[in-house]
Amino acid sequence: MSAARSSIHAASLEEAFVLHSRPYRDTSLLLEVFSRDQGRLGLVARGARRGRKRLAEQLQPFAPLLLSWRGQGELLTLTGAEPAGPALLPTTGGLFSGFYLNELLIRLLHRGDPHPHLFDVYRQTLALLGQGTDEEAVLRRFERLLLQEIGYGLQLEREAGSGAPVAPGRLYDYLPEQGPVPAGEGESRGVRVHGQTLLALARDGELDAEGRREAKRLMRAALAVHLGDRPLQSRELYRRQRLL
Amino acid sequence: MTSPLIGQLIEALRCLPGVGPKSAQRMAYHLLERDHAGARQLAEALEAAVEQVGHCQRCRTLSEQALCAVCASEKRDRGLLCVVESPIDVQAILQGTDYAGMFFVLMGHLSPLDGIGPEAIGLDQLATLLDSGEIREVILATNPTVEGEATAHYIAEMVKRRAIPVSRIAHGVPMGGELEYVNSSTLAQALAGRQPIG
Repeated sequence: MSAARSSIHAASLEEAFVLHSRPYRDTSLLLEVFSRDQGRLGLVARGARRGRKRLAEQLQPFAPLLLSWRGQGELLTLTGAEPAGPALLPTTGGLFSGFYLNELLIRLLHRGDPHPHLFDVYRQTLALLGQGTDEEAVLRRFERLLLQEIGYGLQLEREAGSGAPVAPGRLYDYLPEQGPVPAGEGESRGVRVHGQTLLALARDGELDAEGRREAKRLMRAALAVHLGDRPLQSRELYRRQRLL
Repeated sequence: MTSPLIGQLIEALRCLPGVGPKSAQRMAYHLLERDHAGARQLAEALEAAVEQVGHCQRCRTLSEQALCAVCASEKRDRGLLCVVESPIDVQAILQGTDYAGMFFVLMGHLSPLDGIGPEAIGLDQLATLLDSGEIREVILATNPTVEGEATAHYIAEMVKRRAIPVSRIAHGVPMGGELEYVNSSTLAQALAGRQPIG
């Protein structure tokens, strides 16, 4: 409903995370926010970078917040902010994965579309990363649930076309936007993965080293369809860090 | 109506932080009405600085010399390197502490979502400096923001790989502050980083 988009928005102390912020004018911040009940939003935090009690200190990514705002159109005005607990990602690690999650949300969610379930998944994912839980498995799970939430869930347990159940020992070609088909002779037409990788992804199961590589390639291909040509900056930084 | 030149001056003054149309107008009229000499001096200083000030070859801070005053000094400890985000941070540390080592100024921080990567903040140059063998210890003094922490983390990896000791400045409750007004992340950091009383 486009009429609803231009109407007046207001919220009082709603659960939210800051996904990204950048300086705006002399003392303000432009925030990209993910709120539980109203989805992704653009907010202006006026005067956040001045004054004795600086709001900017609180408006950091990865910390649960209660935000209030009001306004019309694309850019709303922040009217209040309270912390709702300590930052979920400690400064020692996980920050790069956190940037990756935030970049995915900014690139794949439309402003103003509510995703309360994804919000809970995001919070849980940050908490798991903060506790140092197996990073790759946590990221794969988030990617799968994100795709599902925006309406492009992956078909992992049944073959595309025939609908036959995926067999753990079998090799498949995963065709993005369709699903797995039994691997034919020669070049893969999609991403080549074992049945057990697909099933483990579907059920959050354990993966061995090869399975992890397959899962990563599969998710990358599945996300690429929706991300378009522009590369993910956070992925590039992550890669650079590993090459140091 | 203002004349074109005065209007131009008012507009130009607005590039300063915190200066809106009203204060720009006040400044312009003050300079033209009451302080001609000051205005000329400002114009000359500004012109000279803009023409000549570049970046120090070694630490990247703002300097009109190839080497800034800190890097050129014979009295400082050349083995100790403090990494900061901006030239203002260098001034803050020089004025507020007795730190006697050298600096490296990133002129920003890593911010993947803004497309600011390692090259943009001179980390290739920092790598060369670390490889020179001159540096004995590195102190990371980037801002305690999420981006500042990520930057510190990234540089710490670079430094560790060269087997050079590296530390991060402490986070905690500001001196003269009150616990009640400290934000929760800072308080959590302060508790986690508590120190025994000897």
